[in-house]
Amino acid sequence: MKKKLLLIIGLSLAVLFPAFAQNHTVTGTVTAKDDGLPVPGVSVKIKGTNTGVQTGDNGKYTISVPANSVLVFSYIGFTTQSITVGSNPVLNVVLENVSQQLGEVVVTTALGVKHSEKELGYSTAEVTAKQVTATAATNVANGLTGKVAGLAVYELDNSVDPNIAIVLRGNRSLEGNNNALIVLDGVPMPGALLSSINPNDIADISILKGAGAAAIYGSEASNGVVAITTKRGSATNKPTITYENSVQAEKVAFYPKLQTSFGTYGGEGNYINGVTGFTEYVPYENQEYGPAYNGQLVQLGPPLDSANGRKDIVPYKAYPVSPIDAFFKTGITEQNDISYSQGDAKNSIFVSAQNAYRTTVVPNDKNIRNAFSVRGHHTDGIFSVDYSVEYSKTTISTYIGNNNPLNTQYGITLPGSYVTTAGANDLYSSILQLPAFYNIKAFEDPNSDLGNASNYPDAYAINPYWIVDEARRDIQRDVLLGQIKLAVDPTKWLNVSYHLSDNFGIDQERYTKAEVDFTPYSISDPFGAGSNPAVFKSGKSPGSVYDVYQYGDGTNNNPGFARIQGDALVDLHPNLLKNFKTDLLVGNSIYQLYDKYQITGSSQLLVNDFYNINTIGGQPVAQEADYVVRNISFFGDLNINYKGFLNLEGTYRNEQDSRLSKAERSFNYPSAKISFVPTDIISSLKNSDVLTYAKFYASLSQVGNINIGPYEIYNTYGITAGFPYGSLGGLTAGTTNFSPTLKPEITTETEVGTELAFFKNRFDFNFSYYNSYDRNQTVPISTTIATGYSTSILNIGETQSQGYEFQVTGQVFTTAASKVGWTLGGNLSINNSKVISLLPGVSQLSLGGLDYAVVGQPFPLLKGTDFIRDPAGQAVVGATGYPQTASALTTFGRTTPKYDLGVTSTWSYKFVSLSAVFEYRGGDVVYNAIGNSLAFTGASYYSASNGRQRFIYPNSVIQTGPNTYVPNTSLSVQDGNYGFWQTSQFQSTNSPWVTSGAFWKLREVNLTFNLDKFIKQTKYMKGLSVALTGRNLFIWTPKENTYTDPEFSDTLPTSSARGFSDINELPGTRVFGGSVKVTF
Amino acid sequence: MKKYISIATVFLTIGMAGCKKDYLSQEVNPNFPSVTTPQYTLAGAEASSATILPLDYPEYGEWGGIWCFSGSYTPVSQFQEFAVSITVAPSPNDAWNDLYSNLTNYNNLQVSSASVPADANFEAIAMIMKAFDFEQLVDNYNNVPYTQAFQPSTILFPAYDSGQFIYNDLVKQLDAAIALISKSGATATNPGTSDVIYGGNMANWQIFANTLKLRLAIRQSNLSTNAAQADLASTASIGYIGVSTEADCQPGYTDALGKQNPFYSVYGFDQNGNPAGGYETQRSNIVASNLMKSLNDPRDSAYYKTVSGAINALQLGNPQNASNAISSPLGPGLLKSSSQPEPIFSSYESLFLQAEAAARGWIPGSAAAFYNAAITASFNAVNAQGSVATYLAQAGVAYPVAGTLDQQVKAIITQKYISLNSLFNLEAYNEFRRTGYPVLPQNPASQDPAAVSQTLPLRIPYPLSELNTNTVNLNAQGNINIFTDKIFWAK
Repeated sequence: MKKKLLLIIGLSLAVLFPAFAQNHTVTGTVTAKDDGLPVPGVSVKIKGTNTGVQTGDNGKYTISVPANSVLVFSYIGFTTQSITVGSNPVLNVVLENVSQQLGEVVVTTALGVKHSEKELGYSTAEVTAKQVTATAATNVANGLTGKVAGLAVYELDNSVDPNIAIVLRGNRSLEGNNNALIVLDGVPMPGALLSSINPNDIADISILKGAGAAAIYGSEASNGVVAITTKRGSATNKPTITYENSVQAEKVAFYPKLQTSFGTYGGEGNYINGVTGFTEYVPYENQEYGPAYNGQLVQLGPPLDSANGRKDIVPYKAYPVSPIDAFFKTGITEQNDISYSQGDAKNSIFVSAQNAYRTTVVPNDKNIRNAFSVRGHHTDGIFSVDYSVEYSKTTISTYIGNNNPLNTQYGITLPGSYVTTAGANDLYSSILQLPAFYNIKAFEDPNSDLGNASNYPDAYAINPYWIVDEARRDIQRDVLLGQIKLAVDPTKWLNVSYHLSDNFGIDQERYTKAEVDFTPYSISDPFGAGSNPAVFKSGKSPGSVYDVYQYGDGTNNNPGFARIQGDALVDLHPNLLKNFKTDLLVGNSIYQLYDKYQITGSSQLLVNDFYNINTIGGQPVAQEADYVVRNISFFGDLNINYKGFLNLEGTYRNEQDSRLSKAERSFNYPSAKISFVPTDIISSLKNSDVLTYAKFYASLSQVGNINIGPYEIYNTYGITAGFPYGSLGGLTAGTTNFSPTLKPEITTETEVGTELAFFKNRFDFNFSYYNSYDRNQTVPISTTIATGYSTSILNIGETQSQGYEFQVTGQVFTTAASKVGWTLGGNLSINNSKVISLLPGVSQLSLGGLDYAVVGQPFPLLKGTDFIRDPAGQAVVGATGYPQTASALTTFGRTTPKYDLGVTSTWSYKFVSLSAVFEYRGGDVVYNAIGNSLAFTGASYYSASNGRQRFIYPNSVIQTGPNTYVPNTSLSVQDGNYGFWQTSQFQSTNSPWVTSGAFWKLREVNLTFNLDKFIKQTKYMKGLSVALTGRNLFIWTPKENTYTDPEFSDTLPTSSARGFSDINELPGTRVFGGSVKVTF
Repeated sequence: MKKYISIATVFLTIGMAGCKKDYLSQEVNPNFPSVTTPQYTLAGAEASSATILPLDYPEYGEWGGIWCFSGSYTPVSQFQEFAVSITVAPSPNDAWNDLYSNLTNYNNLQVSSASVPADANFEAIAMIMKAFDFEQLVDNYNNVPYTQAFQPSTILFPAYDSGQFIYNDLVKQLDAAIALISKSGATATNPGTSDVIYGGNMANWQIFANTLKLRLAIRQSNLSTNAAQADLASTASIGYIGVSTEADCQPGYTDALGKQNPFYSVYGFDQNGNPAGGYETQRSNIVASNLMKSLNDPRDSAYYKTVSGAINALQLGNPQNASNAISSPLGPGLLKSSSQPEPIFSSYESLFLQAEAAARGWIPGSAAAFYNAAITASFNAVNAQGSVATYLAQAGVAYPVAGTLDQQVKAIITQKYISLNSLFNLEAYNEFRRTGYPVLPQNPASQDPAAVSQTLPLRIPYPLSELNTNTVNLNAQGNINIFTDKIFWAK
């Protein structure tokens, strides 16, 4: 598009000069290095003259030149090249892209309007298609991480269908959604749907960071915008076919450090040796506080099937392969992508198809996406039409984990079956609690005599292979994103358009759990363990089936909205005054969101392996809801540019939203922005060799934000638990007190910044500072139930989010000067958030879990229990030598990173280029519930760090009198084994499990071989490249974090709370592979 | 120019085409009703009341020597060490939330019925059940929000009222409810089947209110001024709960998921006949078991299931406690069927209250007769396998007619403790805290070597949610020490 625009400008300016008689003729084709495609409109000038031509549509040029003259090839977006003409009449030139040429970049702003970067009074960043797809991430969001200052992509878990949150400039809303708005070709779409988009369809992504950028997008954009523009057919008139294949492997890379010294014992009184007083090996335990491994043969679990059955005898020593390494396999992702594009000045078409097949480290899990898209453009006189249709079908199969949406989104707990939602029986937890002497592979077949539910030796966990084989969640998502834009350009100064879009999806999910039939021997619980089978005295745990059918955005969010939107736009850009360029945009936008879901299910299936709601005992579970949101807005955007170096923009928007009551429904918000480019006006700067470009900007904007769902203004009643009993109905008041007087949240943001380029764009520097205040926070505040409600939704309080963003890019070596090119970039954001006020008289608000908002502090803030400490901060131990839990809560720190640093580096040598992205995040803390779980089971390395012997609790003191403490040098813990690690207050206190959330990650590595020049003779092939790729290859965390990837959090993407990792996630993984790209 | 304006107008008009006048009115929630009826609210609230008593007080059972943590599972060590604090909350803290939630519904019912004369019966039941719930709150926490509760639009931080003040006001509320039924009960709408406790029998509700008043009076026996006792005479003619007026909740419990009797579903078996979690984790306690054994009480095998012909009971905090295979779970007298009614206020408790009131001379009648009737009712309630007459004739059981008041109270409370086993763990613990009885053959305190006290907690801490949501008013209650801070009526 960029090339095309400039071509038109170029043509209109082209001046043809008469040729000199003694000249000879040079011809050639100019192609772009990145895609090998011809570049039309390149200026080809004879150095030192004004004589020149432009390349045509096919990139070809013909020029008549004097001998030994130098030709200068220049084009915006490419490095200018000067080449001496030799005797060869053919001179083909490959132009290299300039990654960051400040001021010339065209940015897609609100409503798909393109602006020169120079004109913008706010901070934006452009991410190219190449950057996004560098390492063949299947989700676009993963391709963005570490690349833009202020943009944080959180991969909250590592499942086959991961939750991802995209946050710009940290949190503003205390409890509302802080995620950036995702806009696809000018139309907002649900962030969760990014997983349905084919990353190879993306042309570029504009990140509009603050409220200022978003003032015109409306209330949904108060957290910034990620505006995605998809690929269109190029105007080269030549059909182009691109095929790309990538294959990647995924392997477990980061999991808790486990002990391999001690076997099983869990506090059983009858397993204490009467003579020695030492604990004895307990054959069915999941807790590992038993005797040290000694290599002797022991019996694992009870005899198989009956008291006289075969005994499973194993050596009592750590198995050479850890259960985690043995259980998780290598995941494979293969993507095949083919696209076709063709176009000319008036028409274009782009068609693509993709198949992305992914298996993960979890056996049986897979995610298959087939995506198709068609996009076209047609111009006829003053009329033009743009259309696009994207359809994707995603089929996912995964095990049922604790965090299944049936539970987290719809509040339905899969009840009364062999796998419950109780933490101990989730997959990762079932693996983590396996003692080191288990060979997990022995249980790989859950129907074998060793692996079946009756014989599984661990009395309190479930065979993880049973979970991945027999508790399944199968998902089918059909998503359609369609839009059509009709435009009329009747005259130079007027453009009118209407843009209609319809995005919807159907999400169908089926949850099935197999029936389990226990042997009489297993339910008799021979060891008296109170084991899992002992719960099923009837011998049977019936199967379950639950079906979720949702019409909405195609995700499993409740609600996840389908969206129909119409935008009418009138763009007036008359040239009223000399030196002034004015542009007035007025428009109207209407959208409707709709979601409906139905769930039916039962956990009392009658027939084994027959999953149908028609064949059940008892009553089926049924649930349904539908939601509608409607919104109408009017807006205007006036842009005045003076001589190209000074730009003023003002916006105004009125919005009316159905979620608020009639009296509060309509709200307005304005913004004003200014930008100044001194290098375009100050004569001493104009031709400076040092400072190539400078821009300063400032903006002040206000945006409304509605942080309640539909119908959340009036109180409701729900069916009382257990009802109906026959025809008797019972209703109970809801626990939330809604309010019809709620107003929208208002974010006011001030932003200033500068963009500088030095040494002919070899070195770029961007800086921005923002300070935003968010008033009228719509907060579901926890109220004492004595008010009648546990939650009241109120407009209260104010927060501040303030920060600095730096982005630098430098071409350390340029290919022109040396054969080796090296571009080094860095981006850093520092975010300070602060709660300014809450409700009068309230200084603290619970945000759920251990997250709080505290006046004067950053948020979300992790608070929890700590030990009783002396004034110097040392733990005070009691008579038992154990530290004791203090009753007041301690503040540990913020749960979102304060610092986010990305470092990008690209080396190139001839046809080889190597790029890498590093990312650091820090300044935050994480509560590792996983650490607590592992201390419970005694599986953690930490729990064996004192050899299970008595020890003096480190850095502890003893209280000898009021306010008198002496260092503890003699009082050892009463029991250095089970007593300390499991039953003392050490384990139940939060502080031992809080660690820094800091990490360095090698996010991306890409080694590309561009083989274009080797296939030049091939008639049908235009380009060929091969790449090796890797993602998240390495992670470095502080020593104290031996648990998991601190980026993970057991919170929903839409939640403001973070910093809570637990056994519901999977271990961290690394991904590596390769790709081949062929252009025809 | 005109052409362009008309083009622009056409487009903007298309843009506005969807905008009907009420396009943005989406205030009616299609998913949950915003209205209820007195019948629905009453049925829901009464059934909810019937889940609080049996489910929210397991620790009182453990601390009171009635239940014990299974030897097969890792106990919640803090509970058996009495190491509870505001951050390590015992289960009875659920009662705070459950009682106030339940009270919200009774309060809504009271408020909405007050303006409709035909709904007087609903109003009266709401007032009585509010008193029933508030008494539980005071017995758990002493001072709690009362006068400033349930005003969410004006008071987000309700102040606490003293337990004594609340008790005194509850007596007035009960008197008012009794009077309201007398005045309007016959003419107003009868709640009928929506009253899942008494089926709309308003005379029984007067009896319930009057018995509750008697409980409030007896509970304050240690105090010099006792407003409830002074008021007993004003409604004495109504009488008290007896075997024909048992306050049992029965909405229609049935053997289906979520519809079982609440006690049975948590401490018994699920709809497939598999033992519930509570059945696995709560075992018989040696304290109550030995007490019954010492009295040859046949109810022991009704409360606790025998294993190989004997009750094998456990001791709180004993690290050597036997595993489930050989320890006694709850017995057949408690777990009769998944559709058994859930007792709210039993006749045997009422009879013991009357026995004590008679012994104290507060009401007329023979304390011994009430006492014997109470034990008989208890035997019948749990289908005890043995002769009541033989049992009552024993020296250690027979009512000490000639004894001192203290000896009489000791006998009454000892027998009351045995009767309240499992189904009324809160009330057993309350009476123990009020009177110091029963004197048990075994110390009910914990055997856990890490136990922080060798005496039982006198109360539970306030819930952490109050610290988070009502800080100032909670802090005004001072630092709660669970071993020294008594409920105002405690000994």
